[in-house]
Amino acid sequence: MANGIAADGRTSGPGRHPSARKSDNWFKWLLVAPAAVLILAISIYPLLFSVWVLFVNYDFQIPGHAYVGLKNFTQVITDPVARYSLWVTVVLSTINVVLEFLLGLAMAMAMANTFRGRGVLISILIVPLFISPIIVGQVWVLMLHSPFGPTNYLLGLLLGQEVNIRWLTAFPWNFVALVLADMWQWTPFMFVILLAGLTSIPPHVYEAAELDGVGRWQTFWYITVPYIAPMMLLAVTFRLLDAIRLFDTIFIMTGGGPGTSTYSASYYLYTIGFTQFHLSRATAGAWIFMILTLLVVFFLVRRLLRAEVR
Amino acid sequence: MATTVVNRVRRSRLRRIPIFRILFLALCFLFVLAPLYWTFVTSIKPSDDFLASPPVWFPDNPTLVHYNAALFAYRGLNGLINSLIVSISATVLSCLFGTLMAYSLARFNTGGQHLSFWVLSQRFLPPVAIVLPIFLNYRALGLNDTHVGLILAYTVFTLPVSVWMMFAYFRQMPRSLEEAALVDGCTRWTSFWRVAVPLAVPGIVAAAIFTFIACWTEFFFALVLTSRNAYTLPTVFRAFLSFQGAQYGAASALSIVSLVPSIVLGVLVQKHLVRGLTLGAIRG
Repeated sequence: MANGIAADGRTSGPGRHPSARKSDNWFKWLLVAPAAVLILAISIYPLLFSVWVLFVNYDFQIPGHAYVGLKNFTQVITDPVARYSLWVTVVLSTINVVLEFLLGLAMAMAMANTFRGRGVLISILIVPLFISPIIVGQVWVLMLHSPFGPTNYLLGLLLGQEVNIRWLTAFPWNFVALVLADMWQWTPFMFVILLAGLTSIPPHVYEAAELDGVGRWQTFWYITVPYIAPMMLLAVTFRLLDAIRLFDTIFIMTGGGPGTSTYSASYYLYTIGFTQFHLSRATAGAWIFMILTLLVVFFLVRRLLRAEVR
Repeated sequence: MATTVVNRVRRSRLRRIPIFRILFLALCFLFVLAPLYWTFVTSIKPSDDFLASPPVWFPDNPTLVHYNAALFAYRGLNGLINSLIVSISATVLSCLFGTLMAYSLARFNTGGQHLSFWVLSQRFLPPVAIVLPIFLNYRALGLNDTHVGLILAYTVFTLPVSVWMMFAYFRQMPRSLEEAALVDGCTRWTSFWRVAVPLAVPGIVAAAIFTFIACWTEFFFALVLTSRNAYTLPTVFRAFLSFQGAQYGAASALSIVSLVPSIVLGVLVQKHLVRGLTLGAIRG
């Protein structure tokens, strides 16, 4: 019976019959096709099209699409705001990722052992991950509002004198505010991944160390860290690649201001492209930013894949 | 003898929670909840309470006027409906196409490492680099400010998530049932559709919820690709940019409306969170 059906080719076991293997070949590419076609159409084709935009004039303020050579690039590279915004992106995302990593690790360490109410506490601590970043920004605008937000008031109680920090409009507090909002949203990201790493360490390893009288600090450095190093690398990589996007909280909290002082690369390109409508110049800047990002991706993700294989 | 020592160590591990650890966790707990509480309280305060000093921690006369304003005066209801249409459609498409591709990658190793890495790399392209070319193309095709345009964009930008989550899921599922189905005379398609997919339903549900949350909370694409017609809930917050006291209530009411559904869904799939966040790289 089974043989009879196998004879018609399309239904034999795992690819023994040559014609079955051929239909498998069709089948596997057919499954891939819809997703691949969509990515090609919506992501890759526009990117290729934008290569043309790089070298012509595509600007809602100047009509026509004349060839302009490298002018779009030179305009971005020579713009001091562009270079400043790249700098802001690097500094802010580094600070964010480092602080979130340290705090997330501390939280994960504090919760590695089971205690009553741990499950509920984890459920509450991860809540910010499910909130739109634009709302996170909005929520922190309410918290930090000067003079009527609760933050200044509580700080005043704590310090015993009136506090009137203009969190969103005065340097360096505007950066502190942006870091605070980012930490609030993304520290749980580090926390859950590192916690998963910590709880996967078999307890007998610690028990052996404790019986051998190994100190706590040494246990951390020589047992915990090597065990969860791959998770650490993964968490930092994923977080960093999102952190450099940095747009939503700036958009709602500072609007890039005061002046252009909190422009990130994404925010700069957005204003060039969609409030000033210098589209070809913004495209040139976006390509520069994308290539810089891809360098980071290849460096970090390649390392990550190698760590995974090991 | 040895076991009693181990037991004693284990028990002491469970009992001993130093006081500063409790303090630290309490602070984290407050840090997470305080902004949410403040937003909620602001959303039900009468406008007179906004500028009170000391701040009003809970209003004497709670009111729902701000919800009314947020949904109707600021047209948040339209945004809510658009968000539902776009997020649900994109989730269905992304999970359907993602599951198909993931199965092919997991069972046939289609395209080797290159194809899966190519899909993953889509996840890491900066949105600003993608959205400019998409905007220009949509302009030519008349897709700017349409539901279809945003749905297609969201489907593509969530495909890496659904493909990689389902890829990890299929890889850890035993092949033996599908192979048995093939031996019994099923085609590749029926062994996939009738055997593998039903077994993968829990994974598909988790992937779908993460995809939905990603679409529901997305701001940047929606900001650029929509305006008056297809605008989603997060983009309604543009109305509050020039901040004035009167808008406090509406802004916080709209925040609550938008964050409650995604938080509820997120906590429901908490078990899969680590897998979702790391695209299946860590099982968690």
